[in-house]
Amino acid sequence: MDHLLPPEIAEADRAFPEALAACGDLDALLRLKGTYIGREASHVAGLMELLKAAPKEQKRDLGAAINALKNRWEEALKARQGDLEAAKKPAGAAAWDATLPPPLPARGALHPLNRLMDRLVDVFRPLGFHVEEGPEVETEEHNFDGLNIPADHPARGSADTFYLAAHPGQLLRTHTSPVQVRTLKHLAPRIRETGGIRFLAPGRVYRKDEIDPTHSPMFHQVEGMLVGHGIGMQHLKGTLEYALRALFGPTAEIRLRPSYFPFVEPGCEVDVSCPLCGAKGCRVCKGSGWVEILGAGLIHPNVLEFAGIDSKVWSGWAFGMGVERMAMMLSQTPDLRLFFENDQRFLEAMGGLD
Amino acid sequence: MWIEREALAAELPAAATLATRQLAETLASLGFPVDAVEHRPGTEVLDVDITANRGDAMSHRGLARDLSARLQQPLAPLAPPAAAEGEPRIPVCLPAAACPLYATALLTLGEGRTPEAVQAFLLALGSTPKLLPAVDASNELLHRYGHPTHAFDADRIQGAVSVRMARSGETLVTLDGVTRKLTLEDLIIADEAGPIALAGVMGGDGTKVTEATRRVLLESAWFEPRVVRAAAHRHGLHTDASQRFGRGADPALATVARDLLVQRLQDWAGATLEGAWTAGKLPAPPPSVDLPKDLLTRVAGEPLLLAEAAKALKALGCGVVAEPGHLRVQPPTWRHDLALPEDLAEEVLRLRGYEHIPSVLPPLEGPPRPLSPDYLHRQALARRLAHLGFHQTVTYGFVSPEMDQAFPDGPRPVGARVADEPGHRTLLNPLGREYSLLRRSLVPSLVEVAKRNLQQGQRDVRLFEIAPVYWGLPSGPLENWDWSVALLWAGERWDGDPESKAGPATLKHLLGILKDSMNPMDAGISVYPIQDGMVVAEYFLKHFRAPDARIIPTYTSHSRFPAVERDLSLVVDRNLPWQAMAEAVRAVLKDSALADLTCADLYQGKGLEPGTKAWLLRLTFQAMDRTLVGAEVDGWVARALAAAESLGARLRA
Repeated sequence: MDHLLPPEIAEADRAFPEALAACGDLDALLRLKGTYIGREASHVAGLMELLKAAPKEQKRDLGAAINALKNRWEEALKARQGDLEAAKKPAGAAAWDATLPPPLPARGALHPLNRLMDRLVDVFRPLGFHVEEGPEVETEEHNFDGLNIPADHPARGSADTFYLAAHPGQLLRTHTSPVQVRTLKHLAPRIRETGGIRFLAPGRVYRKDEIDPTHSPMFHQVEGMLVGHGIGMQHLKGTLEYALRALFGPTAEIRLRPSYFPFVEPGCEVDVSCPLCGAKGCRVCKGSGWVEILGAGLIHPNVLEFAGIDSKVWSGWAFGMGVERMAMMLSQTPDLRLFFENDQRFLEAMGGLD
Repeated sequence: MWIEREALAAELPAAATLATRQLAETLASLGFPVDAVEHRPGTEVLDVDITANRGDAMSHRGLARDLSARLQQPLAPLAPPAAAEGEPRIPVCLPAAACPLYATALLTLGEGRTPEAVQAFLLALGSTPKLLPAVDASNELLHRYGHPTHAFDADRIQGAVSVRMARSGETLVTLDGVTRKLTLEDLIIADEAGPIALAGVMGGDGTKVTEATRRVLLESAWFEPRVVRAAAHRHGLHTDASQRFGRGADPALATVARDLLVQRLQDWAGATLEGAWTAGKLPAPPPSVDLPKDLLTRVAGEPLLLAEAAKALKALGCGVVAEPGHLRVQPPTWRHDLALPEDLAEEVLRLRGYEHIPSVLPPLEGPPRPLSPDYLHRQALARRLAHLGFHQTVTYGFVSPEMDQAFPDGPRPVGARVADEPGHRTLLNPLGREYSLLRRSLVPSLVEVAKRNLQQGQRDVRLFEIAPVYWGLPSGPLENWDWSVALLWAGERWDGDPESKAGPATLKHLLGILKDSMNPMDAGISVYPIQDGMVVAEYFLKHFRAPDARIIPTYTSHSRFPAVERDLSLVVDRNLPWQAMAEAVRAVLKDSALADLTCADLYQGKGLEPGTKAWLLRLTFQAMDRTLVGAEVDGWVARALAAAESLGARLRA
């Protein structure tokens, strides 16, 4: 069919490979591209004119010939363009040393204490617990009075609690329990419609302890609280058994021991079977097979009444857990101060990302 | 509190048969965890933790009582021969309500010393025998039975004794040799010359028993717990006596303890009883408490028989009367912690063992509440920053005045300074000057952490913290705080690719991180360099983009027609801000199909006139409804060029 093409086109086609090879850069190539297949005044444009004027019976064959020629030129131009572009790049870029490790995307870390608190929230979410938070600077009313802590309790003293110099009524909360008082007061008016109260309160707390391997003036707690109808010790035990098994594995056992906190009655300490040795006895559990993990109990009726909740109708449980203590136990971190030193290597190893 | 095995067995013979581990576990299950077991010559001692509500358990007898109830084994009898009481040899008057009962005796001492066994017992408990029978016997009784007693040198007491509140200006030199300034709230024992003891806390030096003492006046009283606690706290004197009186001693034991002390002095020191007498009377017993069956069932988690509860409470020394639907319970004189039905329910469960409590998940009574947007925001932001290579730190909420001064700004709204008077965020009783101010900014803490990390040889330090900051206003930090977010990038920025170059962390990289996670940056720029290769930024959390509350946002359409990209290589004044260029170009292309405008390249190197820079403007056009034709794009590009030229730009040759 090529016989249908004019001789000057055949000539141009013969000259094409040489012209293509002569293009030393992209600009030259673009000029060549314009001459051969450009929209105006190019060989292809001329052929299109020719096609328009061609007799009907020739049109089909001529069209096919033009198309074939155009495609051939286009492909060759494209290939040459690729070569020229590759040649333009610095030599190194193409030559990647595949034996080297590939670059990794940036990777930071959440703080291990925050990760642990997030995990606790995740564990309690399916039971309908949400998160409540309060300010770190609190009033005596929320931090002590509302929690049935007697006016002469030593914890109120300036040897144990940080107070603000210019604001005698304000202090740094010594536990997350004031969140209980705030939340109970806040939700009390609607408790009938909401059908009880259940929440976790993770946060930072302050006590006047000198800094040493097991003490810090700032640490974290997670408080849990549930108020409903007919809540008893069995519900506390059932919830904690679920939660601690979710954290430590399905074979974990828990043990409640009587204890005393002013804001609960009955009160208890809760032990979990040592997750490190499988309760066989090790350094962490001091050979006993049990590790103390939190304090808990049924909410003292005075605490409910203080918040305006009828303790004859409503009852509930509460627990409070030291986050650092649990983190240290789980990770066998020997020194509490490591959590506040924030060495990036520590954070990467201990915190990481989900 | 230390407990010696043999002395425990003396109160509860059945305890002798328990292995130490078994004993420790039984005590723990009763609420008295054993912190340590130590071997002492010929015996074993247990360090038992006693909670603040159980003053009655602070003795061998006290723990034996609970063990006896649990093991259902009898206590050894405690019935010393009662000293025959007669007329007071020294008048004792009790004008203060805080001391309703004062049993005493006057003895003349003979020859004799503290028995070896008693010395060994005291030593085993970590207490040094004074080798003065009156002192050692009092001490021994305290550990064995829990009732603190005291012996005065009777010949040094002047006139009548009264237990009264101290008067203004009175002082007392206590046994430890310290002169105590007494206050009107201090309950004291006084003779006619003045104070001779701080009641329930410590005796006085002037009337103490010594080698030379010939006659002793004994004291076995009952003091109001609140008054003793306050005095111990006020004078910083936490003694064996104040701990027991402060938690509530057993008033009924006062005369018994006096008789035991008399008996010991007669046996050990050949003492002769000159007379015994008691002033005042037993305080009124606490009111009885009802334990309703339904409350017991609720707390216990299963229906318990009232008869079973009654048996447990009786074993603990309560008087119990069964009435329809409830028990009427009279707590024993030694239990001051049983005031509510819940207290009694706890006793029943405690004696039964908490291991018998069933395990039940609480029923859901209403719909769960969602997590708060604020909490979710912080969580999402922390995750995002961590994924961008930053490490979350946790630092103390207080800083030194120097650190505070070094970074006085903190996060703030656009163009505004937040009023701040550091005095309003100062702690009254900080751990030290280093920790004396609630922080205004997270930056000083982050800088400190970064420097430490760099010293440790970390090359690329990327940190962030999300925590409250405070500003000092007269309403105090309770009102004036908000969540702040601070980021710090220090050291070398390198992606670990051997083919790419490392460079210092610069502001532009930090700004990129901020742009990724912030709302339009209308928060006012709080991004600044700290030192070479260390940059920080701090904003209030509310300036960061919160997660969208909608599950899927409203549909926005995207063009399905081809986009046309055109570049303009421009030379501009070095000081021309990009913002100005972008705004000018966008302004003239408002009605065009401009889809994007970026600076694709910046050149500031050789070949440019001094004071200029070269930008490669990349204009991307795309229409929603058609393929663009060359001519219209040419027109728009010409307009863009004209706008650029109006800012002094010209096409780069």
